[in-house]
Parts: sequence; C-alpha cells; structure tokens
Amino acid sequence: MITRRMVLPAVAVAPLALARRARGATPTRIVSVGGAVTEAVFALGAGSHVVAVDLTSRFPAPVRDLPQIGYMRALAPEGLISLHPDLLLLSADSGPPQTIEVLRAAGAPLRIIPEEPSGPGAARKILAVAEALHLDGRPVADAVLADWVALDAPIAALPPVRALFTLSAARGAPLVAGRKTQADAMLRACGAANVAQGFEGYRPLSAEAAAQLAPEAVVMMSHALEETGGIDALLAIPALAVTPVARTRRVLAADGSYVLGFGPRAAHARRDLALLLHPGAALPPLPARSWT
Amino acid sequence: MIAAEGLTIRAGRRRLLCGVTLQLLPGEVLAVVGPNGAGKSTLLRALSGELRPDAGAVMFEGQDLASWSPAALARRRAVVSQHVALAFPMVAAEVVALGRLPWHGTPAAAQDEAAVAEALSAAGVLRLAGQPHGTLSGGERQRVQVARALAQLHGAPGPAALLLDEPTASLDVKHGAALLALLRRLARQGLAVLVVLHDLNEAAFVADRVAVLADSRLVMFGTPQEVLRPALLGDVYGIPFRATGGVLAPAFAG
Amino acid sequence: MDVSASVALATPRPRRGVALLPLGLALLAAAMLAGVLLGPARVTASGLFAALLDALGLAELPVEHARDAAVLGVVRAPRVLLGALIGSGLGAAGAAMQGLFRNPLADPGLIGVSAGAALAAVAAIVFGGSLFGATAGLVGLWMLPLAAFAGGLGATLLMARLGTVGGVTSVATLLLAGVAVNALAGALTGLLIFMADDRQVRDITFWTLGSLAGARWAQVPVVLLLVGIPSLMLCALARPFNALLLGEAEAFHLGTRVESVKRFAIVLAAIAVAAGVAFTGLIGFVGLVVPHLVRLGFGSDHRLVLPGAALLGGALLVLADLLARSLAAPAELPVGVVTALLGAPFFLWLLRRRAAGGAG
Repeated sequence: MITRRMVLPAVAVAPLALARRARGATPTRIVSVGGAVTEAVFALGAGSHVVAVDLTSRFPAPVRDLPQIGYMRALAPEGLISLHPDLLLLSADSGPPQTIEVLRAAGAPLRIIPEEPSGPGAARKILAVAEALHLDGRPVADAVLADWVALDAPIAALPPVRALFTLSAARGAPLVAGRKTQADAMLRACGAANVAQGFEGYRPLSAEAAAQLAPEAVVMMSHALEETGGIDALLAIPALAVTPVARTRRVLAADGSYVLGFGPRAAHARRDLALLLHPGAALPPLPARSWT
Repeated sequence: MIAAEGLTIRAGRRRLLCGVTLQLLPGEVLAVVGPNGAGKSTLLRALSGELRPDAGAVMFEGQDLASWSPAALARRRAVVSQHVALAFPMVAAEVVALGRLPWHGTPAAAQDEAAVAEALSAAGVLRLAGQPHGTLSGGERQRVQVARALAQLHGAPGPAALLLDEPTASLDVKHGAALLALLRRLARQGLAVLVVLHDLNEAAFVADRVAVLADSRLVMFGTPQEVLRPALLGDVYGIPFRATGGVLAPAFAG
Repeated sequence: MDVSASVALATPRPRRGVALLPLGLALLAAAMLAGVLLGPARVTASGLFAALLDALGLAELPVEHARDAAVLGVVRAPRVLLGALIGSGLGAAGAAMQGLFRNPLADPGLIGVSAGAALAAVAAIVFGGSLFGATAGLVGLWMLPLAAFAGGLGATLLMARLGTVGGVTSVATLLLAGVAVNALAGALTGLLIFMADDRQVRDITFWTLGSLAGARWAQVPVVLLLVGIPSLMLCALARPFNALLLGEAEAFHLGTRVESVKRFAIVLAAIAVAAGVAFTGLIGFVGLVVPHLVRLGFGSDHRLVLPGAALLGGALLVLADLLARSLAAPAELPVGVVTALLGAPFFLWLLRRRAAGGAG
C-alpha cells in the first residue's frame, strides 16, 4: 500500500533529481506557459531549450511546431512531468492552483513569473525569466524599458481618443474590456481613453450603453474581426451602429497576444497601436530589436 | 386481531372516514364493500397503519397500532395493493422474496427460501417463478403479490392479518374464484383476512362477515345473510336490487 | 424450467449476483493498478521497484529514481485513490437516487447537488479573484472545494425542506422542488457568468467538465470521510431500497421506515456527490449510467446494484482519468468528457442488445 512514507521521501528528494542541472547552467528542457513568458525565453536566446508550450504561446513562429500542453488554466501535472522538464516557467495567470500545488509537491522545478500590464512590468517579467534561466536579463529588459519610456512624452502630448476594446462580437453583443484588464492598460498607454469604465473585466455591451459611451474608435482582435465578417459586418451590429464609430469607421485590428502580452514586444506594440489610434502622430521610431 | 374504534380520517377539511368501529378476527374473512368513494381503500390503509387516525384508534392485538415498530408489524400484517408497478425489472420469485425483508436479522431468515417456495406454490404461481414480472398478466401479477404477502407472513410469531384491496379486480372469473378460495383456505388456517371487494356476490361467496361502507361511514356490519339483502343494498347504492337464484344484481329497468 | 433455481435466485442472495462483487472488486483493483502504473510519464520497472521498497521502508530511494517515485507517489497515487472514491460515490449515489425516485433517469443532479455546487464554485471563481492565481495560498486551494461542497449540500437541503410537508417528503413535490432549485441555481450561475471576465468563464467551463488533475494526498482523508463513508452507508440501505422497488406504500407495509430512509438517502447522496464534485468539478454520466450497467447485467436487487455501482463507478472514473491524462499528453482532456465518451456508446450497445433479446 501507498503510505506517507512513500510520499515524504519522494517530496524531499525529487527536486534534486528533477532539477538535474548544475547551479548556474541554463536549463535545457524548458516548458514555458504564457505567451509573454515564452517570448521572453526566446528574447533571451534560450528558445532552443524550450520543449513544450501552452496554447497562448504563439510567438515567435518556431513555438508553433513545439508540443502543446494545452490551455494554461487547465494544466496537466503528469503531462508536464512526462516532458522531463528541468524548468517549468509558469505565468502567474496559470492554473488551476490545485494542479500547481501537485506539481510543487512532486518536486517539479517551478518558477512563477509575475504578470503586470505595464512597461516596467514587462521589464520585470523578462528579468524574472532571465533569473530562472541563469542568464543576464538586463540587456533585454533595459532595452524594452528604454523603448517604452521613449514613447511616454510623445504619447502624453496626444489628444486622448475615446476608444473601446472588443474581444469578440460573435453573438451580437460585443465583449468589451472594462477596468483592470490588459486592454485597458494598453489603451491608456497608447493615448486613448477606454470609455468602458463602469465595470471590471470583459462584459457584453448593450446598444444603449454603447450609445452612451460614444467611442470614436474600436480596437479589435484581428481574428475576431475576420470571424465577425469584417468592418461592415461589425458596424452593422446595433451596439456599434449607434456609436460615432459607425461614422468614423475607425475599427482597428490588432493581434491580441502582441498588444496584450506585455512581454518583450510591449514597447513596439504600444507604438503600433498608438499610431493606429492617432494616425500621423509624430512618434519616435524604435530601434529594431531581435525579438520583435 | 385488528380493531377500529371510532376511526376517523380527514384529508384537509374532507372526511374520508367517520367514526368507524369494527373488528377483524383471526380465522375469518371480512369483506368490505360499498359504492365508489365510500372510503373502503381509506379504511384498509388506516387498518394497515399507513394512515394515522385523526380521531379514534386502531388496535393491533390489543396494542395501539402506532406503537408497533414497522418491522414487527410487517411480520404480523401483510397488504396486497390494487396495483403494484415495479421500479426496475425483476422475476416473479424475486418479487415474492421481497416479502422476506421484515425477517432480515431474525432467526426466521433461515427459512426464507422455504417461505418463498411455499408461498409461490400456495398462490399457484410456482411455474411463474422465473418469469420477468413485466411479462406477467394482470391476474398473474396479483397472485404474485398474494404470494409475496404470504411469504411475508410465513413464520409469524402469533396470529397474522392479510389485507387485500380489490384483489379480484383484474382477474377473470376462474382466477377470481381461485383467489377467493385461497383466501378462505388461508382463513381456515387461522389467518385474519380483510378484503375490499367490488362484487357483492364475491363478498357473499367468500366472507364470514361483511362490512358495508357508504359515505365515509360504516352502515352495516354482520354476516352476509344479515347484510347482503336487496332492501338494504338499495339504500346504500341508491338503486333497486333483486336477488335472483342466489345472485344479487341491480334491478335495471327493462 | 428450474423452479428451485429461481427460488434460490431470489433468496437470500441472487445466484447470478454472487459473481458481481468479486468481479467488481477485481475490476476496480485492476483499474487502480493500471491507473498507478500507466500514464504519459513513463515509469521503469526498476523505478517502480525502488519506489515500492522505499514506500515499505525497506530501502533508501536512489536519487535516479526520485522522479519515478514522485510520479507514482505524489501525482498518480492520490489521483487514483480520489478517482476510485469519487467514482464510487457517484455510482452509489446514482443508484440510490434511481431507487428512491423509482426512476431510471434519476441521477444526483435531480436533488440539486450539482447545480448548487456549480453555483457556489462559480461564485468562488468570480469573487475569489486573485486567490485563484498560480500564487494562491492555502485559502485559495481550499476555498473552491469548500464552497462547492457547501453549495451542493445546501441546495439539496433546501430542496428537501421544500419537498417536505407535514413531515412527509413527497417524491413528486421533491422532484418539482428540484426543478425549481436547479432553475434558480442555474439562473444565478448565469448571472455570475455574466459578471465573470473571459478567463473566469474559461475556468468555469473547465470546472464543469471535471478533472482529477488537482488530486493531492491532503484531499484523500477528506474524501474518504465525506465520500467513502456515505457511500458505504448507502450500500447498507439496500434492503429498504429493495422494498421501495414495489412502491412507497408497499415499502411501508414491508416494515420500512420510508420517511427516514428517504431523508437519510438524500442527505448521504448529497454529501457524497458534493464532496466529490468539490474536488473534481462536475463529472456527468457515472451516476446516471453505471447503475443501469449493473442492473442490465445483474438484476435489480439493491444488495448488488448499490455496491456494484460503487465498484464499477470507481473503476470507470479511474480508467477514464487514465485516458484523460494519456490521450492528449502532454495536455489533458477533461475527465467528464472521457466518462461520457466511454460510457454512452457502451450503454447504447447494451440497450440495443437487450432490446434485441426481448424485454427484461
């Protein structure tokens, strides 16, 4: 029978065996969970050591050929262990907590990377990943932060655009980002005022509420815009037909993981989105980075 | 055996039974007759302990029925309802074996198999033992229920009572007569048998005593000769009766 | 035809059933063994041997087998134990509800336990907020199960209270109360989903599909107490349930304390299901169909149906979980999806076969 005796020694000894790496050496079997976390690993030059990623990891292109561990909120403890990872990098948004507890108990080499939707937050994320990889993260983190900060003053000078961020509009009522969302943070960083401030998280928006909010521009995930049937179909939805957007036709398609990731590409995404929101604005060009 | 004293049962404001006093004795067949809605089934349910009296009392072997534990009562009293629908399929012998449930944990449980076999044979359904209950005819099911009740009373530690609610309703003449004959035989062996009947001639044929209910009251209680007279029945059922060649029948015009 | 065989078949213990309990036990044991030995993380024979020696205290665990020991002892063993216990609870509770309601379509969902647990779990997910991140502490780990358990039990008790008039719990009133409680819980859940953000909605979806991925040793004693014991107690109610096969009035005439049995069975089933669901999320199908599988094979005697459904339910959930973690490895399928995919076609096949062979 299985007794506590079997469990306790296993817990005590397992970390040594699972984290089969000399102190200071970069792990060679990395499982990366979370789009921005994976981007950070690649930005730090350790991409070739990644053995599997989650569904939200879509960039850079090579990750699409890697084994899939599924959705980051439904992690599989044994599946992860079966990959023989010497480092499990988990975005703080991973879950469920019970599974993470099982991984911890099994001595899996876990590292939880904080999620913080801001430029400095992106830099801290990169530093946390770099530390787990035993690499120097400062060059990348500093560059991202410098790029981000370079945009602060020019964007602050722009007149704020009344904007709405829409996740999808598949069922007629657009699913809109309210307060405390990455979209809200990014809109703000791009010189836009998120008009949906009455709630937290994502909510379907009614036509009356939309008329009241009167957005001038709508930012939408590009694949969701395609699914809806393009700009004309989107603006035909009652909730948007009653807004100024129907006149301005300013529907801006953006890649979700790009503009909402707050990873190494955060500053470039900020500049791209700000230019979409403020066409022709004079924003300083950002240096090309190897990770963008 | 079972005695009702001023038994009254209400359902909301309606009175289903009102001040009924009667006794069921070991060794007799007591037939309960009366028009529809007279309270016959209610009387049976009250005498079985299923319904509590709102006034009056029901005594079983001199003790208040309510003071009997359900299991002890079940070893002395069995009930055959009008319709039994099984929740899930069983063969006839399994149904009859359910009669042995109250004996679980008693020494008599050792006789379970004998009790079931005897009951099957006494009720004339031995050949049906292995048949799925769902494939039996209405009459066969009724006899299986009688067998189940007999299995239940097998080895009763004292006089036992068998209560049946219109057991002949779904039987043809032959099987109905056979069932009534079985009831007579059981009474001769000392069982107290109370049977609710629709057919007055069946009551006359089987009963030692007849109780006539009308409008929630016991209106007559006595031997068939005393009770089953055309004049009295005419009052009870509200239509004229006549006795022709020993058979009681409503006297229809024309 | 052989009369004595039929009689013996009915009393005191059906002959064809004699094989069921050893068979069920063997099946459950085999499923559990497979559940511990197999899976996407391969364990070598020497690793198993080393882990066994270590578990028995006979030898120190060599460092090279620490991973095998962790997979067997930390990941799989509690998961298999939990699966067996929770599957047993679902099977026994399903059989009990079908017996109680005298309805082949009854399952524990009928008494509001699933809907209540789901409502509370969704509330915990929506309002728990940051407690559900990867950095959740002890509170975060236990809040959801605790909420789901309380919600499931609470909904059932509410329903039982609504269904009891004058000390008599009427099955018909109970069913209607169940419909109302389910509808109310469903509506409130919908309201919470409306308030939930995108990520929470996906969490909720995964919760309703069930998973054993969070199984830990700390949960085993809780589940043993709240699922194992109520399931055993339900099995002990086999005789009253047999009496109920004839109907409630007949059960009373056979000496059954019908009201106590009803209330007792509902509370036991609710505890067993709510505690199971609390740790795994909703797992459909097991409670509904496993009792039928037992009945189709071994008849309606609850002395067999209840323990049989428990053993088979446990085995089914353990096997379904083995498939859930193996088929899509290194990802994992929701186990509720696998139980349905596994059981439904088998059930249909059995039904067809029975229909072809004449009425049962």
